[in-house]
Amino acid sequence: MGRVTDEIGTPIAEARVTMQGADAHGDSYTAVASTDTAGVFSFSGMVRGNYQVVVRKNGYIDWRTTVSLAGRTDDLTIVLKGAVRLLDEVLVVDNHVERRKQGESLNVEVVGKDFVYRNLGGSLMKTLERLPGVQTIGIGSGQSKPLIRGLGFNRVVVVDRGVKHEGQQWGSDHGLELDQFAVGEVELIKGAASFIYGSDAIGGAIDVKPEPLPAPHTRSVSVDLVGRSNNRSYGTSVRLGGRGEKWFVDARATYLRYGDYRVPADTVYVYDYAVSLHRRQLRNTAGRETDLHLTTGYLGDRFNSILYLSNTFHKAGFFANAHGLEPRRVDTELHDQSARDIQLPSQQVNHFKVISRNVLHLGEHHIEAEVGFQRNFRQEHSPYVSHGYMPSLLPDTLGIPATLEREFDKQVYSLNVKDYVEFGKHQLTFGFNGEHQHNRISGWTFLVPSFEQSTAGIFGYDRYRLNERVLLHGAVRFDHGSLRMHEYADWFPSDVPEGGQAYLVRAADLHRRFNSFVWSVGLNYEPLEHLSLKANVGKSFRMPIAKELSANGVNYHYFSYERGNPSLSAEQSYQADVSAEWQANGWHIQVSPFYNYFPNYIYLNPTAAFDHFYGAGNQVFEYAESRVMRYGGEVQVSRKLDRSFTAEVSGEYLYSQQLSGAKKGFSLPFAPPPSLLMSLSWSPERPGNPFVALDYRLVARQDRIVPPEKKTEGYGVVALRAGVDAVLMRLPVQLNIQVQNLLDTKYMDHTSFYRLIELPEMGRNIVFSLRIPVTSTQND
Amino acid sequence: MEIMEKLQIKRIIIAFGIISLALACSKDAETVDTDYPVIDDNFTEMFPQQCGTVLRGETFVFKARFSDNVALGSFSLDVHDNFNHHSHSTEVEACDMGPVKEPKNPFKYIESFDIPGAPKAYEAEVEIAVPADIDPGDYHFMIKVTDREGWQTLRGLSVKIQ
Repeated sequence: MGRVTDEIGTPIAEARVTMQGADAHGDSYTAVASTDTAGVFSFSGMVRGNYQVVVRKNGYIDWRTTVSLAGRTDDLTIVLKGAVRLLDEVLVVDNHVERRKQGESLNVEVVGKDFVYRNLGGSLMKTLERLPGVQTIGIGSGQSKPLIRGLGFNRVVVVDRGVKHEGQQWGSDHGLELDQFAVGEVELIKGAASFIYGSDAIGGAIDVKPEPLPAPHTRSVSVDLVGRSNNRSYGTSVRLGGRGEKWFVDARATYLRYGDYRVPADTVYVYDYAVSLHRRQLRNTAGRETDLHLTTGYLGDRFNSILYLSNTFHKAGFFANAHGLEPRRVDTELHDQSARDIQLPSQQVNHFKVISRNVLHLGEHHIEAEVGFQRNFRQEHSPYVSHGYMPSLLPDTLGIPATLEREFDKQVYSLNVKDYVEFGKHQLTFGFNGEHQHNRISGWTFLVPSFEQSTAGIFGYDRYRLNERVLLHGAVRFDHGSLRMHEYADWFPSDVPEGGQAYLVRAADLHRRFNSFVWSVGLNYEPLEHLSLKANVGKSFRMPIAKELSANGVNYHYFSYERGNPSLSAEQSYQADVSAEWQANGWHIQVSPFYNYFPNYIYLNPTAAFDHFYGAGNQVFEYAESRVMRYGGEVQVSRKLDRSFTAEVSGEYLYSQQLSGAKKGFSLPFAPPPSLLMSLSWSPERPGNPFVALDYRLVARQDRIVPPEKKTEGYGVVALRAGVDAVLMRLPVQLNIQVQNLLDTKYMDHTSFYRLIELPEMGRNIVFSLRIPVTSTQND
Repeated sequence: MEIMEKLQIKRIIIAFGIISLALACSKDAETVDTDYPVIDDNFTEMFPQQCGTVLRGETFVFKARFSDNVALGSFSLDVHDNFNHHSHSTEVEACDMGPVKEPKNPFKYIESFDIPGAPKAYEAEVEIAVPADIDPGDYHFMIKVTDREGWQTLRGLSVKIQ
């Protein structure tokens, strides 16, 4: 029996303890155990003899000793040292899941690299979809946007290596430019998190942490290989790193390629128009991704500085028979020649980042600062199609390439500073976040104008330990933001109401300023052993985005004329979260309901009107504000059936209703239907950590819709996952195999981008991934 | 003591679960309109029809019947050339197409109309004059109709102008 803790005495859960020895007959004997949340492990029925004990935990240096068993042994206390000296020793090194969850009154889920490997989806967000309360808006097989409890787009903040990730967030056909192989850990905050993350964190935050740094005096190489059967995807990611005592360098390159994905249908119907699919492939949904990362830095005792450089590039086709909702006739011969080529229409996006993270320990203070620059350059290509009053042919005097439908160029400068200080029973955090954005547009269609945006916020956060069982939280934050939009006029003349023709001014010069004050209070209470309760109430906010204020153009992907509202105020939200967790005797039960109220939810309201001047005869969609109420929650129950088998059920439910405005009584768009995930897994405590798991996801039908959505039938899908650590050609390897949609079920996902044109989701998909980590220690 | 404690925990969890379930199930009885308006397929007087023809230098009358379960909103008509065969037809039936060609003076018509009185059914009639000097050939005739809630139904017809 024994207990495993870190250097400051915090118990380490899920550490693997292996005892290896020989019995009296000389037969070798191995036993494995894992520590529980109190860091405790035990062995029983061990034969007397000498054993080699090894304790392993990701992120810590292996601990080894030899013990001699003679009768009942005394308790063993094992202290693991962090293998990676990360940014801040207090907050990150011992940042294992339980501690993180217990120190936070918000609802937090933390997943590590193993979770990502075992559930590897087409994109990082698709991988995270397994977590209750998380859904995605998917497009094709390689891209998706996160939805946390039904809120997405600019209502969820994604933080990458300490800096807010800024993509072109408004389009549901845009993915998130992150490399899932370069992820160390993902922290998911469900609920109002504006007080830490600023504007936009109304629905929650996804904090993507970098990979652990190399350990001192090591060189390491790791190779990942991944293959997917459905879209015949293959890819690799290679990491090379090394560290002396204090200096290190680490590089990673990822390359992925995928073909058109397949659905369980020979014909799909875009409106009533029958589109027959060649080999059940969705024409032109192939893509490729290339990501490069370089990380270097200095890790001192009092000062750390890390520089992250990365570039991700992604190019993918749009389903050729429909561009958005618009059916298109296509040259089937051209498209069906190859399932791998990327023809028009297509999108490509390049995201470059340079981030410097610095940490300084000064007496009681722990100061952290991040400086970042990122550039998101996005192009959407399509053959020129004249719509409305656009001339039938694109004049070449414009200087816009004939296939450049839209271009967005975003440059973002960020600065964050934080100071943690402990003072008696208080843990205080003070911080500043500043950001400046520069956005330019091009292409022959118009949706949003060029604009500049600056934001600055300051916050203070206090965690107060009242007693052993109660932790109180309180935070306040003040933000100021400014948005400056530039005038845009059409490049072609249109009929105007006064008669004759004119070049319409779509967006006028506009300057708006926003101030916001938000707060949050919370409580962690452990009334009994094994039971922990959390409660949190807070106010969050979101500055309207350029599109909501200044859109004035036809989105032919949706047959809509989208009109911004320059007088919108900053969106506000009040949310109450409660969570109860009970963990004992192999049971783990967690219930987390929430209630959320928006006095002014901003959304795109489809009206009954058409506009034949600015809107070229399309339906008017107007940005409007309405009062909105939402509630729901997640329930997770898992039970260890015996030493190897675990059964798990997790469910999610969400209800939203607009309480005022033109769509009073309706829900909000992209409302995820209730769903239940049932899972049975077998993971015996054997060397190699083998596991097999069967997942069955049952999703209810969604009848609560709002124009222009369609009701979606319920469905059930089965997935099978398995993995093992093995030795292949004397190299250690981690193998994972998944069969997604095992029964090749034909179903539609209510929150998919292609739902409106009735495209089914991906058919059976076998995902294979192999990981070869090699570390060598040098003696110098 | 331990048993008591466990019972208490179970009670707390059960109570918590019941409250959550009760909250989740207290659905509002309020019903909303989720039906799309309809462009009547069986309306025999509908004009033009898929693969139909209209003549240059003449005025034709667009005719269609719209209906909705609650109240209609408005409709919009859009005629534009399809000389490049880009096609956003929503129709099952394919038409014979002329060769791909470059437009010189293509016909373009975009209008929208309110449906007065928010009726449940409405027969639309619009006179459309086709100038004599426009390019003949393949055109698209798009009909879009909304109901009061903002549900939109659209049909894209392929027509020929001769």
